[in-house]
Amino acid sequence: MNEVLSIVEYLTAYKLDYEMSQADLYGNSGQYTVYPTSEEELSEIFAFVHKYQFTVNIQGAGSKRGYGGLIDQADLLISMEKFTGIVEHQSGDMTLTVKAGTKLEDVQRYLEDFNQKLALDPFMPHVSTIGGVIASNDSGPKRLNYGSARDAVIGLRVVYPDGKVIRTGGKVVKNVAGYDMNKLFISSMGTLGVITEVTVKLRPLAKSTATCIISFQGEDRNTIYSFTRNLLNNSIEPISCELLDPIVSYKISGINKLSLLISFEDVEKSVEYQIKYIQSLIEEEMNLIVLRNSEEKQLWDRLYQLPIDKEAEHNNGEKLFAVAKIGTINLNVIDILLKVMEIRRNTNIDIYTHGGVGHGLMQLYIKGEEREMIETLTKMREVTNENGGYCIIKHLPLAQRLVFDTWGETKGAHYLLEGIKTKVDPKKILNRKRYVGGI
Amino acid sequence: MTVSQQKSKQPACKDGVSNYLWNDAPDETKWADCVHCGMCLESCPTYEQTGQEQHSPRGRVYLIKSVAEGKLTVNEEFMDPVFACLDCRACTTACPADVDVGGLIEEARGQVRQAIPLKGWKKSVNKLFLHGIFPHENRLQTLGGLLKFYQKSGMQTLVRKTKLIQIMPKHLVDMEGVMPKIHSSVKKKHRNGSVIKAKQETKREVAMLTGCVMDVMFSDVNESTINVLTRNGNDVHIPQNQTCCGALHVHAGDRDMGRKLAKQNILAFENDDTVIVNAAGCGCMMKEYGELFKEEPEWREKAEALADKVEDISKFLYDTGYEKPKASLNKRITYHDACHLAHGQGVREEPRDLLLNIPGVEMVHMPNADRCCGSAGIYNITNPEMAGAVLASKMENVPDDVEMISMGNPGCMLQMAIGVKNHGRSQKVVHTVQLLDWAYQKESRG
Amino acid sequence: MKKWKLKTKDRHIHGLSQLLNDKQAILYHKEDLISYDCDGFTIHKSLPRAVVFPHSTEEVARIVKYCHDHALPFLARGAGTGLSGGAIPLNNEVIISMVKMKRLIDIDLDNRRAVVEPGYVNLKLTNQIIERGYYYAPDPSSQYCCTIGGNVAENAGGAHCLKYGVTTNHILGLELVLPNGEIVEIGRNGVLDEPGYDLLGLITGSEGTLGIVTKIIVRILKNPEGKQTVLAYFDDIEDGSQAVSDIISAGIVPAALEMMDKTAIEGVEAAAFPVGHPKDIAAVLLIEVDGIAAGIDEQIEQILSVCRHRNVREVRAAKDEKERAAWWANRKTGFGAMGAISPDYLVQDGVIPRSKLPEVLRRINKISEEYDLRIANIFHAGDGNLHPLVLFDARVPGETEKALAAGSACLKVCADVGGTITGEHGVGIEKREEMRFVFTDEEIAAQTDIRSVFNTDNLLNAGKLFPSPSRCAEVKKEIKEKIIG
Repeated sequence: MNEVLSIVEYLTAYKLDYEMSQADLYGNSGQYTVYPTSEEELSEIFAFVHKYQFTVNIQGAGSKRGYGGLIDQADLLISMEKFTGIVEHQSGDMTLTVKAGTKLEDVQRYLEDFNQKLALDPFMPHVSTIGGVIASNDSGPKRLNYGSARDAVIGLRVVYPDGKVIRTGGKVVKNVAGYDMNKLFISSMGTLGVITEVTVKLRPLAKSTATCIISFQGEDRNTIYSFTRNLLNNSIEPISCELLDPIVSYKISGINKLSLLISFEDVEKSVEYQIKYIQSLIEEEMNLIVLRNSEEKQLWDRLYQLPIDKEAEHNNGEKLFAVAKIGTINLNVIDILLKVMEIRRNTNIDIYTHGGVGHGLMQLYIKGEEREMIETLTKMREVTNENGGYCIIKHLPLAQRLVFDTWGETKGAHYLLEGIKTKVDPKKILNRKRYVGGI
Repeated sequence: MTVSQQKSKQPACKDGVSNYLWNDAPDETKWADCVHCGMCLESCPTYEQTGQEQHSPRGRVYLIKSVAEGKLTVNEEFMDPVFACLDCRACTTACPADVDVGGLIEEARGQVRQAIPLKGWKKSVNKLFLHGIFPHENRLQTLGGLLKFYQKSGMQTLVRKTKLIQIMPKHLVDMEGVMPKIHSSVKKKHRNGSVIKAKQETKREVAMLTGCVMDVMFSDVNESTINVLTRNGNDVHIPQNQTCCGALHVHAGDRDMGRKLAKQNILAFENDDTVIVNAAGCGCMMKEYGELFKEEPEWREKAEALADKVEDISKFLYDTGYEKPKASLNKRITYHDACHLAHGQGVREEPRDLLLNIPGVEMVHMPNADRCCGSAGIYNITNPEMAGAVLASKMENVPDDVEMISMGNPGCMLQMAIGVKNHGRSQKVVHTVQLLDWAYQKESRG
Repeated sequence: MKKWKLKTKDRHIHGLSQLLNDKQAILYHKEDLISYDCDGFTIHKSLPRAVVFPHSTEEVARIVKYCHDHALPFLARGAGTGLSGGAIPLNNEVIISMVKMKRLIDIDLDNRRAVVEPGYVNLKLTNQIIERGYYYAPDPSSQYCCTIGGNVAENAGGAHCLKYGVTTNHILGLELVLPNGEIVEIGRNGVLDEPGYDLLGLITGSEGTLGIVTKIIVRILKNPEGKQTVLAYFDDIEDGSQAVSDIISAGIVPAALEMMDKTAIEGVEAAAFPVGHPKDIAAVLLIEVDGIAAGIDEQIEQILSVCRHRNVREVRAAKDEKERAAWWANRKTGFGAMGAISPDYLVQDGVIPRSKLPEVLRRINKISEEYDLRIANIFHAGDGNLHPLVLFDARVPGETEKALAAGSACLKVCADVGGTITGEHGVGIEKREEMRFVFTDEEIAAQTDIRSVFNTDNLLNAGKLFPSPSRCAEVKKEIKEKIIG
């Protein structure tokens, strides 16, 4: 019988691209980092680690290392950063197959030449890989119209923890053959397998776009509520209807007011008609600015970059930076946002937020010291539970994640989640303890 | 001994596997088009009530087919779904492949009645109404006279006061409660001079079916029909040898009696070019007489000739043109589609158009207007529970703020009147042609 | 009234009746059961042991628990309009009919959602809210009578899925009775992205093999401000197919893009809702665009011009809502209409990449010739979802088998060009073996592994969705042993 190879022996023997790595603030790393470039390599790596029960963490380009997970270092970290490229683009069928390590921004840039796009608007598209976006099901304000990864993905190739390669879905836009296994891997935080290839459906690039910023003079709940409700009840078709607190509004547009970000994408006539319509709704104590072209693009870029905070990265963890995702019943976004503003007024903590009143998902940012940070997060989790929703942590250093559970309490059907994990990864070698309830 | 009982002792030929033992069995070509898609389900009032597929059109067709295929026999369990059908034909409208479910049901009922003769209370009712009264003009008239006497003599008041009413079966009590004021029979009135002349210039001559129930319970509707026809240049012929159309018998599976009555009417109307009918159920039956004579080709031909001449009053007026009334009625009205008008004869827009053309009439939409009211011939007497449930659903759809519910069938009129009474509503139930007549009358009064 | 009592010696019928609030809400006579021996797929038939009609989640849970404890196979059924046999009681199941659970529990227009029970009929939801300006998007052709619970099980599609997505894109939350009788809620309050694996997405389309849905939170949409439908007749089916590709390539996302070929037109014109399509054309396209009214004319103009470019014989927009509705009624009753030109039909449901349309239609035509059976094509051309309707006469010995083989050959073609075997009807019984056209044994095992997490004893709707008869035989044996033992 052969002797057991160590990880490093294996990586060397198979001439894989790897390096030794250090633990850091966020955890979820490995003793070694390997950069596979083919599915065969990955499959073999897994066959190896599975056999000898080495633990493995997986990342795209590493932008979500602060998102869940209770373990500092696994035996091996697999980085998909070099697993990139377009596999197949059927322009006429409006489908695209792409390797999972490809950055989302690169995908969109590629598609622009064909007047097509992938209708997804996750945060940090320039550093996020498509595999990572899918594994975390990340989405932004435009989810209102675009939907999320669960709506765009039509097929995946996944390497299972034992090395076998499983295809889910297919290459066509409509498919109910067997279980919808795509859904299992979307939002699974890499705990069930490594996504290697993604097939998505595409949309035509809009012929015209524009974004309206409606800023409110005051912060009166009833004014905002009735205006928003009225807006949503009309037959305009906004791509986003995002409520920004004054801090976020200031950070991305320079307007220090509670604002609504309403964007349109359609043929020009339709976009202009809808802008006129918005103009007709504007009341006295509101202000409207319409952004187009590069101004519009820059505004959105700034919003998608909010989770990156250079300051926090350079102060050695004295001031912590946390990003949270809140889900609630659509219009409750207004109450939660006002609550955040109240917390900001009444404490010293730097907290700001925005959320979609048409889909109920919010992004929350907090800067502060550990104790007040945990207190605030605890408070926010209470507030969201009261509003029929949840609050999960998308970004926080490992030390604090160990104190404050990323996912919150587990719900009734948790044994089903555990059952799925156990079926797929019986030895629990992949992204161990990364997900809900310590899965 | 009736003809059917004689037959029941000597089953007709039995081909291969089929468990239908008598002649005139359900016609295979009728179910061949059913592909079991289920598009009929929601149209069916009994499926709506029960949620059970044997009580759906698709289920019933499947059962009927299963007997022919030898998988089932004609027994009590088969009988139940076949007789619980209201024969409302809503499924015929819904069916993408035009399967004649109603025809199949009637044929299957014919088989059931021969295999399992009626017993008990249902037998008495069937016998009383179907054999004892409807086919016999004199008895019907007598009944009418009795009812008239009953109302006029103060006996009605007496019966109600003395609680004699409590010993009558529930549905008859309901019916008693809404019994229309009995007028004189039109047929009897015109027994000597058989043609009523048009009020002004004669444009054409039409015959009229006076009907059995219609002419006793609703002879005022018959009067209105005559008024409206003569007002619009029609001489109206009332053949004296006409009889009950037989629809109730055919619905109940008594196809022999149906045939007998059909033959009498075929002869009665042989020399007329147009036969006007103001009862949807009768009109529909007469248009389908041909179905009864699959085994008698010469009668079938005659039946089909009659079918072509039969016309509902509303469609006739709409097609031939009529004088729009000038007087205003100022009423809020909703319209109920009688099944055998909407689903049976495809007449939907004509009566509505007629109402809309009466000045001052405000039409209020009734949701699911073409849903059965549960009357369905004598169904409301034989299946009172289901009929009541169907009626309750119907009443939920009657708009609150209307004064009248208009329709084109006497069975519906009685049932809807029960609905109005039992559900604490206030609407007056009228026949479409009555409204037109009233508008004309108001006009002539100035 | 006769006193009601059960007339059977089957102790489980007595046991189940006891669990129901209405003890009579159970069917067990052969005459009553026969209507349940198949659904919209009529080729396989099998009688259930009984049919029960629960009125509440708790009743469902009690029944399921009973079946679980006594190892009785069971399955849930809605309106029974499914086209792949998903509700057929292959193993003499106890059928749990969900049609009495048909309440509309809540409508929340502000938050764009409605809560319904599974027996609620699809179209009723839209009818309830349309006047207030909203609708429920998934619109399978059977929407007049199919239930939303059934839609969830099958992940039903429809003509308007091209732009708005299928059922799974519109389900926000579910209450579910698991195969052991436990009640769980997923997607609580209909809030998006509940932490944890996406069970919502997994259960939608699982064909009733993972649990029985008892409550559904659906997304509702605002009515589009404008809507226009275009009808185009082509003398050559290839021109029609090319026009489909051209429309999509022009950057238009129609709400629906439907096509019918010559045989299909013959059927719908012979049936209950004819609209006067010429009998001699090769294909008709029905193209619907909706959205902001101001932007629609431009798109319609573009569509008209694309069609003209592809040698259209006649192309025009609907002149009013009545005409539009008539065109759609004609199309939506297309399957049932086949009854008017053929005693039986078998509908297939393959999906192909749009660009392969001309090639696939040619190959289907060839299959029709080879098997000497007529094949009508009605399909959602916009998303490449084909519905070849194999016309046959079951009374002719051997013709059913021939039709099945022809249907399977059509699916093989779809799989070969990179497509799949079912786009919206589900696998059910019908396409179990064809699963092998698109999945390896390992991939199928990965799916049955997931089933075993939920449906441990495989008592719930066994024998559906997955091939491998050996496995099925095993299951049956297991069940038998349990019942005997």
